[in-house]
Amino acid sequence: MPVIQYKSDFNVCSVTYKHQNLRICSSEGSHSKDSKERYLWTQNVNNEILSEPLPLTPESLSVSINSTKQCLHLQWTVHNLDYHQELKMVFQIEISRFKASEVIWTGNYSTTVMQNQVLHWSWESELPLECAIHFVRMRTMVDDARIPVPRFWSNWSSWEKADDKLVEEGSDVTICYISRNHQDNISCYLEDVLTYGKQLDQSVWAFELKNVSFLRKTGTNFYCQGQGVPEGIVLYVSKVLEEPKDFSCETRDLKTLTCTWDPGDDTGLIGLPSYTLFESFSGKKTLCKHRNRCDWQVTQDSQEMYNFTLVAENYFRKRSVSILFNLIHGVHPVAPYNLFPKNVSATNATMTWKVHSIGNNSALLCQLQLLGEGKVIQQHNISVRVNGEYLLSELEPDTEYMARVHCAYADHFWKWSELISQNFTTAEAAPLEAPDVWRNVMFVSGHPTVTLFWKPLSKVHTHGKILFYNVVVENLDEPSSLEARSVPAPANSTKVTLNQSSYQIHVTAHNSVGPSPASTVAVSGHPGNENVEEGRVNGTEDGFPMSWKPQSRNATGYVVEWCDGPQNLPCVPQWRNLGPTTTGTVISSGAFRPGVRYNFRIYEISTKRMARLLEKKTGYLEELAPSYNPQVVPNNLTSHSFTLSWKDYPTESQTGFIQGYYVYLKSKAGEKCHRGFEKTVLPDNSVCCKYTIDNPDQKTFVMKDLQPESVYEFLVTSYTSAGEGPLDDFRKVTTPDEYSHILIYIILPMIFCVLVIMIACYLKNPYKSSVLSLIKSKENPHITIMKVNDCVPDAIEVVNKPEGSKIQFTGTRKSPTETKGTKPAYLDLLPTEKNYSGPGPCICFENFTYNQAASDLGYCGHFPVTPQAPHCQLGPLTSPENLLKTLEQNYMNSLGEIPAGEANLNYVSQLASPMSGDKESPPTNPPEPTLCSEYKMQMAIPLGLASPPPSENSSLSSTTLLDPGEHYH
Amino acid sequence: MVATSKCSGKYHELLLQLQRQADLMQNPSTLLDPYIHLQGLHSPVLKGSCMERPGDFPSEDALWRLSRQDFLRTLNTTLGLFLRMLSALQQDLPKAAHQQAEMNIRGLGNNIHCMAQLLRGSSDPEAAEPTQPGPGPTQPPPPLPTLPLDTFKRKLRICEFLQGYHHFMRRAGQVLRGWGERRGRNRRHSPLRGLQRAARRTWPFPGLRRLAPQGQLPR
Repeated sequence: MPVIQYKSDFNVCSVTYKHQNLRICSSEGSHSKDSKERYLWTQNVNNEILSEPLPLTPESLSVSINSTKQCLHLQWTVHNLDYHQELKMVFQIEISRFKASEVIWTGNYSTTVMQNQVLHWSWESELPLECAIHFVRMRTMVDDARIPVPRFWSNWSSWEKADDKLVEEGSDVTICYISRNHQDNISCYLEDVLTYGKQLDQSVWAFELKNVSFLRKTGTNFYCQGQGVPEGIVLYVSKVLEEPKDFSCETRDLKTLTCTWDPGDDTGLIGLPSYTLFESFSGKKTLCKHRNRCDWQVTQDSQEMYNFTLVAENYFRKRSVSILFNLIHGVHPVAPYNLFPKNVSATNATMTWKVHSIGNNSALLCQLQLLGEGKVIQQHNISVRVNGEYLLSELEPDTEYMARVHCAYADHFWKWSELISQNFTTAEAAPLEAPDVWRNVMFVSGHPTVTLFWKPLSKVHTHGKILFYNVVVENLDEPSSLEARSVPAPANSTKVTLNQSSYQIHVTAHNSVGPSPASTVAVSGHPGNENVEEGRVNGTEDGFPMSWKPQSRNATGYVVEWCDGPQNLPCVPQWRNLGPTTTGTVISSGAFRPGVRYNFRIYEISTKRMARLLEKKTGYLEELAPSYNPQVVPNNLTSHSFTLSWKDYPTESQTGFIQGYYVYLKSKAGEKCHRGFEKTVLPDNSVCCKYTIDNPDQKTFVMKDLQPESVYEFLVTSYTSAGEGPLDDFRKVTTPDEYSHILIYIILPMIFCVLVIMIACYLKNPYKSSVLSLIKSKENPHITIMKVNDCVPDAIEVVNKPEGSKIQFTGTRKSPTETKGTKPAYLDLLPTEKNYSGPGPCICFENFTYNQAASDLGYCGHFPVTPQAPHCQLGPLTSPENLLKTLEQNYMNSLGEIPAGEANLNYVSQLASPMSGDKESPPTNPPEPTLCSEYKMQMAIPLGLASPPPSENSSLSSTTLLDPGEHYH
Repeated sequence: MVATSKCSGKYHELLLQLQRQADLMQNPSTLLDPYIHLQGLHSPVLKGSCMERPGDFPSEDALWRLSRQDFLRTLNTTLGLFLRMLSALQQDLPKAAHQQAEMNIRGLGNNIHCMAQLLRGSSDPEAAEPTQPGPGPTQPPPPLPTLPLDTFKRKLRICEFLQGYHHFMRRAGQVLRGWGERRGRNRRHSPLRGLQRAARRTWPFPGLRRLAPQGQLPR
């Protein structure tokens, strides 16, 4: 009986396949300290000793598992059958589980057997085969009396433990877990995913893993946990071995073949698949050392044709690809070497190189390429056996080139070798072309100062590094006079001061080899004609199109000169030389910007290299709308008109050609537009009148037919072809009333007279004044002008009396500061409130001379100001005529009718000596100082009172009295 | 492990460096975590079973009982053995983590050498005294564990071993910090040296479990 140690109290088993051999793992629970042999059951076989083998004993019994069908598959042969012998045989088969001694099935299999025949038989298991070890043995029975009945069994089939559980990606795997103890709370996981299996027994669970996938090279963990530490296995999942792709062979020297292929994805296993190269004609094979390449030694028997088969093989699969290869057709020469230039001149260079010999000094076809600036500019094919050489010509001086060469087998081209390259630079030569020179002539104290400019030569023309420029000044009037100077590179200008002779200036560029041809400009000692009419030119997307009319038939060319930057910035002139037959060009520059004015000058070059100004042109690449408006000054203000005037723009700040101006006028009253104006709606939806001045030279405009004492807003914008300036910053102006200019001629003498009379009266009788008596009582709303004849000496008197009726002025008024009785009474020449009765603690004379000061000190904020109120203005200084007018028209306005917004002025008045009592008071009652201080803020004088309007319609409107020509908004 | 570079003669500087190196090496992210990730042991069940196995590395109690010289010797020997083990585990560990761990151990070894040299040259009697009082003689470090041939068990066993390494480095760091604390106390209370010895009986880190028997008298 076989003796098999199988102590599997707590174990995890899995089954994998290696070809047709069964590999089974076994108990792992108790052999951590055992030697390796104890894990392998391949040697655990029946220890029953067979006696002399019978001639027809089955041999080479092997067992495999079909996991899908849960079948044990047996395979064996029968030895000792005679040649051509066919024998009907019966095979008695025993199958045991776990132990060889535990036979679970016995049966017979009958078949006819021939010599060397491999026999097959299958048995289906009710228990997953992965969960237990199975053993098989058999013996033969022959239905032939001549052959004795067999007595001996074959050996028990062997079992192998698969220590590494290798499976292929995508396959199904059954894992069996056998617990040492009977436990119910067993949890099994594939990685960290709880996995449920089928419980086959109290202590046996089977888990079927479908379509296993590769996770990592270190394997996929499957483990179970009961009460102790987890027990598990590591499944090594291999990716499917791919068929090698792009399998090809070549030789580099006709001695060794190298076959290469793309092995595809790494299978992920630590052990790599093996690659073997077979050659069918020679029958040789070699195990490849690399997974993508294999070398094959060419035999000396001149074998040209090779039939290669590459076999890739791993644990699970075998893949193969084949090619038929002709040695001569697969020659890939090794790259040439020692590529060097020699005898390099400015235009020629000889390249030399060597090649590795192939076979019996076979010829190679080499290709020499010359590259300049990365592009192949020359290509030559040369046949080479050992040394290659080629003369490259037509090279540019002082130019870096790259020469590179590769070679192919000349007898049969298949593949170029790798390229090798070498850089070299040709020698310098003298510059090929004269520098492009232009001049700028300035006359300083009658002497021409010439600034010469030249453009750096292009690399094609320098033929070497330019070291300096030679400038030779030749005085044409004194042929022997030559002045030379050297300007080191990279300078591109120099200044030469000349006298009033004629000159030719020659400029040459020099490198280490020599000078370039000279470039010549001629300069006259006298200014040329600069009075050339300036034309306009419109820029396009391509630049500025220029055209001109030739003026002489012997012009040698033309030059267009301009500045790249705006006019107001210093610039290095730009120029373009044009041929004698050219009468137009397009000047373009990346520096041109929209909204910038550029000036161009076109010169004609004479045969003596003298430049004569032909035309001037100015223009914009693209005109823009003005970015700001002209500074407008309003003047000549009258009650019905005022004049707007402005100055011209500086041309450099113009963003386009000014085509004219728009004059906008807004009136508060919303009047109709005057003749010539048109109504227009502004972007802020306000409506105003617009007048178009289409003459850009017109710089004044008279606003006529205005209403006196009205506020107008005006704006002047300029416009170009692209639009007009910004429509903001309207300014205000208020027209004066139409009589104000008359009043000034009347009121001043009148005031003077009144003052004289008052002073005279006062001097005569300082305690009595008849002035008051000349003015009607407060009940009389009308104001009369005091007549000089009414003045009685000593009758002028200033009274401060509690009763308002005693105030003897032509009217009463109530300022915002004196609406209460305790407020001071002000004695002035203004109409006062009709029913004024409040006594004041002091009496003040209005002193106009302080008004300006008060205003200047900012005292204009003491009264409520409505939004309509204009700024604090100098009303009282300009209002004597208003005052007079008030008197003349006998007009009295009550304060209650004055809009609050118009009471926006106040003034400082010098304090008069306060008096008490009235004219009835005895003179013995001298005036006593009351609560007045020496100086006091005086009441505001509402403009409405100071200057009554000429008509009812505008009687209460606020009027800013402008000093004509000075005041405007 | 032998130091080849020039040693710093500043005790506190060297001690601080040792502490920092121990802190760095006790971090599982330097070795254990990359191993777990590579081997796919990151499930809670497997991580939970990846515990330090007693006997792999010297215990905390044993470390506290060692004199400074002996502690350094033990640390050096243990890490030397671990380094050998590490090279046997080269195929099982991520290359970068493996190399970094090797460098860390060699760097620490250098500083151990320097500290040992410094202590040898000093007349500090504490150098020969154990950090914690107790009868523990210097014991050889545990031998290297035998790894099972079964792949799954081997994976887990290595995991336990690396876990033990990090725990050991944490313990070593604690001992080294204990040196710093005592040194500081000694400086502050140098006239009261007798009291210091009494104070040494007190566990310096109340937040940590004390493994040494309580109430033992100093040697």
